[in-house]
Amino acid sequence: MLEAFLKALLIILYATFVGFMFMGIIRKVTARIHRRIGPPIYQPIIDTIKFFSKKENITHGVIYDFGIIFALGATILALMFIPLGGVSILRAYGDLILITFLLEIPMLGIMFAAMSSGNPYAGIGAQRALLTLLAIQVPLGFAIVALAEYYGTFSTYEIVMAQQIHGWSIFHLPLLLAAIAYDIVLQAMFGKEPFDIMIAPGEISLGPMVEFGGKHMGILQIQHAIGLFAETLFFSNIFLGGAVVMTFASPILNTLATLVILLIKQLAVLLIAIFISTIFPRFTIDQAARFYWKWPTIIAALGAILASL
Amino acid sequence: MVDWRLFEPLFNWARKKSLWIVSFCTGCGGIEMPPLMTSRYDIERFGIIPDPSPRQYDLFLITGYVTPKTLKRIIITYEMAPDPKWVLAHGSCPLNGGVYWDSYNAIKHLDKYIPVDVFIAGCMPRPEAVLDGIHKLMEMIESGEADGWKRYRENYEWYRKNQDELLGEGWREKEARKWIPWLMDKRKEVKE
Ligand code: SF4
Repeated sequence: MLEAFLKALLIILYATFVGFMFMGIIRKVTARIHRRIGPPIYQPIIDTIKFFSKKENITHGVIYDFGIIFALGATILALMFIPLGGVSILRAYGDLILITFLLEIPMLGIMFAAMSSGNPYAGIGAQRALLTLLAIQVPLGFAIVALAEYYGTFSTYEIVMAQQIHGWSIFHLPLLLAAIAYDIVLQAMFGKEPFDIMIAPGEISLGPMVEFGGKHMGILQIQHAIGLFAETLFFSNIFLGGAVVMTFASPILNTLATLVILLIKQLAVLLIAIFISTIFPRFTIDQAARFYWKWPTIIAALGAILASL
Repeated sequence: MVDWRLFEPLFNWARKKSLWIVSFCTGCGGIEMPPLMTSRYDIERFGIIPDPSPRQYDLFLITGYVTPKTLKRIIITYEMAPDPKWVLAHGSCPLNGGVYWDSYNAIKHLDKYIPVDVFIAGCMPRPEAVLDGIHKLMEMIESGEADGWKRYRENYEWYRKNQDELLGEGWREKEARKWIPWLMDKRKEVKE
């Protein structure tokens, strides 16, 4: 019991720290692409400390506070189900549908809070975010079906183990198609540029985030960090082979090697997302919905059909 | 309650290192902001990013002349932010009216309506000058000298009196109600 608790705490701390570094890497790489120097890589940590050090706090009622906590809790729960090499706690129950579902729940929590603030910009942002959420379901579902059909199981850990024997998922054609569709969907899940319609800085102020200040925003930063970590981790687990290292004798060395390999794979996923986001302008919401129901859906459906043949 | 005074140096360092600017561009200085943020004078090096929300900013740049109509929005935006917040006035116009010293429609002393922490003179100041002003503000935050938000809290009566003198008492409600008759007329027109 105590051991599991300690493990969970360590995973959360690790995920938060690495997630903050990912946010810093996003800002740094974007700055380098614009030929700027950019902030130091630990900048998001400073931002979060600043948000928690505000002397005043604005709240609009119970749901406003609860939505934020709900978002953070859902992200942490999703993280617990994703196998982190050999370390995860609930990995035996971590099935694909559950994790994809849990990764979308935080958006709903933020919606709750934003809607209860009564700000019209937040309302517009929430509507757009819900439409985006609806649009990405279709390709996401097909990608999951393709995976489950190919491996014959829903368990993420078993899929990772199967990839140890048969090679990474993206080297099989049907799953490569699913991976491409999933990568396009990831862009919207990160809230990165071609599909950052829900936040849309400059277009509708900040969308759902517009009313959050002080500690609410601090918690949202932590939530965003853990969310980034969990989403990239899930992608590298199901498509890039995950990592279960057994070569060393001592378990600690094995764990460290696993974490490093996973980190490299997560960074690869993240960098692709950054490169796409810096060169593409934003879609309008109707274009995005039409896009998601067309190309990624066709690609993922093709993958699912090929996987079931 | 936890006593947070022990952490105050850490907090001050964090506040100084991550000043978010609200994108509120008044007057000519609005075109001096983009060069500050883009590749040449990259201000993101100091952790400063523009942010469109009035709830999340720490640094309010007044970038030029302020008319009474804008002043209402400035006051509302200023009062919306949670507490440690700083104002940096930029150009000669907020300082003493600048070239609009005899205009009936420009604010002469911005300092009478909201508390300003740092003034930068110049019409308009070079980006280096703005960087210098921000550097000065950072030093003042570190030493605890920059206390505009505290002054606004303590001397609220004085600021409120000046605002009401200029804009007329109850200007917030009046401003909110201003469009209602017009909207009603429009509705009637549409119905007919
Ligand atoms: S100081 Fe000069 S540049 Fe700045 S707003 Fe006034 S007239 Fe324009």
